[in-house]
Amino acid sequence: MAKQLKQIAIYGKGGIGKSTTTSNISAALAEAGYKVMQFGADPKADSTNTLRGGEYIPSVLDLLAERRRVDAYEAIFQGFGGIYCVEAGGPQPGVGCAGRGIITAVELLKQQRVFEELDLDIVIYDVLGDVVCGGFAVPVREGIAEHVFTVSSSDFMAIYAANNLFRGIERFSNSGGALLGGIIANSINTDFQREVIDDFAAHTDTPIVQYVPRSLTVTQAELSGRTTIEAAPQSAQADVYRQLARRIAEHTESKVPTPLNPPQLREWSARWADHLVAAERAEAERQVA
Amino acid sequence: MVLNLKTSSVETREQRLGTIIGWDGTASKLADESAFSRGDCGGCGTKARRVCELEGPFTQGSVCSEQMVECQAGNIRDAVLIQHSPIGCGAGQVIYNSIYRNGLAMRGLPVQNIRFISTNLRERDMVYGGAEKLAEAIRLAVERHQPKAVFIATSCASGIIGDDIESVARTAEAEFGIPIIPLHCEGFKSKHWSTGFDATQHGILRQIVRRNPEKRQDDLINVINLWGTDVFSPMLGELGLRVNYVVDMATVEELAQMSEARATVSFCYTLGTYLATALEQEFGVEQIKAPQPYGFAGTDAWLRELARVTGREAQAEDYIAREHARVKPLLDELRPKLKGLKGYVATGSAYSHGLIGVLREIGVEVDGSLVFHHDPVYDSEDPRQDSLGHLIENYGDVRHFTVGNRQQYQFYNLLQRVKPDFIIIRHNGLAPLAARLGIPAIPLGDEHHALGYQGMVNLGESILAALQHRKFHKDIAKRVSLPYKQSWLAQKDPFALARAAS
Repeated sequence: MAKQLKQIAIYGKGGIGKSTTTSNISAALAEAGYKVMQFGADPKADSTNTLRGGEYIPSVLDLLAERRRVDAYEAIFQGFGGIYCVEAGGPQPGVGCAGRGIITAVELLKQQRVFEELDLDIVIYDVLGDVVCGGFAVPVREGIAEHVFTVSSSDFMAIYAANNLFRGIERFSNSGGALLGGIIANSINTDFQREVIDDFAAHTDTPIVQYVPRSLTVTQAELSGRTTIEAAPQSAQADVYRQLARRIAEHTESKVPTPLNPPQLREWSARWADHLVAAERAEAERQVA
Repeated sequence: MVLNLKTSSVETREQRLGTIIGWDGTASKLADESAFSRGDCGGCGTKARRVCELEGPFTQGSVCSEQMVECQAGNIRDAVLIQHSPIGCGAGQVIYNSIYRNGLAMRGLPVQNIRFISTNLRERDMVYGGAEKLAEAIRLAVERHQPKAVFIATSCASGIIGDDIESVARTAEAEFGIPIIPLHCEGFKSKHWSTGFDATQHGILRQIVRRNPEKRQDDLINVINLWGTDVFSPMLGELGLRVNYVVDMATVEELAQMSEARATVSFCYTLGTYLATALEQEFGVEQIKAPQPYGFAGTDAWLRELARVTGREAQAEDYIAREHARVKPLLDELRPKLKGLKGYVATGSAYSHGLIGVLREIGVEVDGSLVFHHDPVYDSEDPRQDSLGHLIENYGDVRHFTVGNRQQYQFYNLLQRVKPDFIIIRHNGLAPLAARLGIPAIPLGDEHHALGYQGMVNLGESILAALQHRKFHKDIAKRVSLPYKQSWLAQKDPFALARAAS
């Protein structure tokens, strides 16, 4: 009897650190004894890089471009801690339809029963930036992933992307789609950044799963083609990721978020902008005095 | 192979069976290369079911998976088919309506029009998504027709933008309380249109067939077919069995009761293999694993296997003996009239295997056939269903056995190669080309025409009838020309372009 498979999806603005976070979660889960698959759903096909010593793997769509009949296992490679790494891949920039690419890749793996046969505990979809079209929504709909987490910093564009994701989840929540597990607050090093992201979380009735500080250790590990868990297992940052992975593994209750509508979001950000300006002015005055 | 009914879309034939649409050689060589017989063709990979394929540089157009959904799901009597597509995808419904009406009349069922709705996707819907239009179409379908089920055919257009058809269907199902069944048949997904049959059957299996049947109907046999006349009821009646015709022209209830039946048969393994295999896998309804019921050899074996499974051996032997005695004198009369004639079969694949056997049985020479695709193995993976192998073993090889997706330009060279006296065809698109070459066509609109013992007599008579207007076709040939360059008309190899491109 196959065990209960847990499928989660991680979204967030491009460049926010999704792949870094996801790979470290995968690595920490593997370290804790789970059988994990990381599914990179981005045309760049670089989600699993640090799990494979900096090495790129051929994507599902690379294989499908070559031939008509593809064995899904040809696209599955094992990385750090035995993690199964898959990259959906996609077309060249400005060409074709990346959303369709994700649909195709996910479908292939589902049809070939890969998840059941590998007897996995957890599949993590590392999805690109934003829910811009039907293809990028695939992991949150049709019950593919049960829980969605978003990686966000306190920057407005990251919060904007997170809010968009919440709108997508809200849309699909009635029809059996995934629900929101919470925000992974990334690059949070100052009280101010923490206040901003906490306030957004409060407004959208969303929990913060973990605060992840910006750390040089992460950069160093990435440059060596490894996750922090692998490259600096004793570091404080590795423990942050371990704690995050534990929370995700133990997470059971997700819910429908209450996203802000566009005018509300603008108003919210304007208020923080004013607050920021006022704070800076106060700081400048203090220095003058 | 284990069929995966958990996913909403069916696996394509290319993926599942290694289906090809381009090949040329002898029938025995193709059988050798197919998984049923002896493995791969060398150098094509490690999968036994991979067969070398000739890929041409262009195609003149054929059909697509969605059209097969139209002609199956669209022909269920108390359901509605919604085509979530641009309106052009529904153009085929004009011809399907006439076939449907004819089919109903031939079966003695009340004649009605097909009931389908197109969501008429336009550029705006491609940008903004067509889900709301689809939800509205479902509501209209329910209001207008009070159907027992609604099928939704996807299309290339809805597939490309990733419209969330599943959730629209789920919401509507909860609201209206009838099965609302998405059928994923995006044309671009599979090069072979038979995948569309599978898509329909996949949806029916997932959402209509009764999950936990309370009773078994031990004398009920599912017959997977299209629109042909009812030849199965009298045949199976001899064995004390009742027929449950699916999918075309069935009611939703008739589809639901498939899980209660004793066994499943079909007139063509190309059409029936997915549904029959899944019924056996999911519900234990046995699939009859025997040659198809064509000619003496096929029909005998088919009846005997059905009798064995249902425990009616004595009745079957009695019936077989009576039919042999009845039909043999009729064939003895036909054979001298057919002697020296050469036929050419251009139909779907397993059906062609059956028809060639029938032609050989009545003494007609066949040294060429065009099948529209080839499955190197069927879903059952059972060699008893190896229809091509059965043909070769019982009726000998076919010298020019071609797999091709209905290309007019190739059909010219194919016919030149064997110069038949007539062609047999089910998908009439190629018949006008044959007519321009002076070759009459026998259009098998009724796909049960050549089936069973009587089928041999039927086909023989049809050939004689078609040859009555040979002069007419010769006259046509004299007065028309083909739109091809002289260089192509002189080409001996129908796949010259494909070979040049590879």
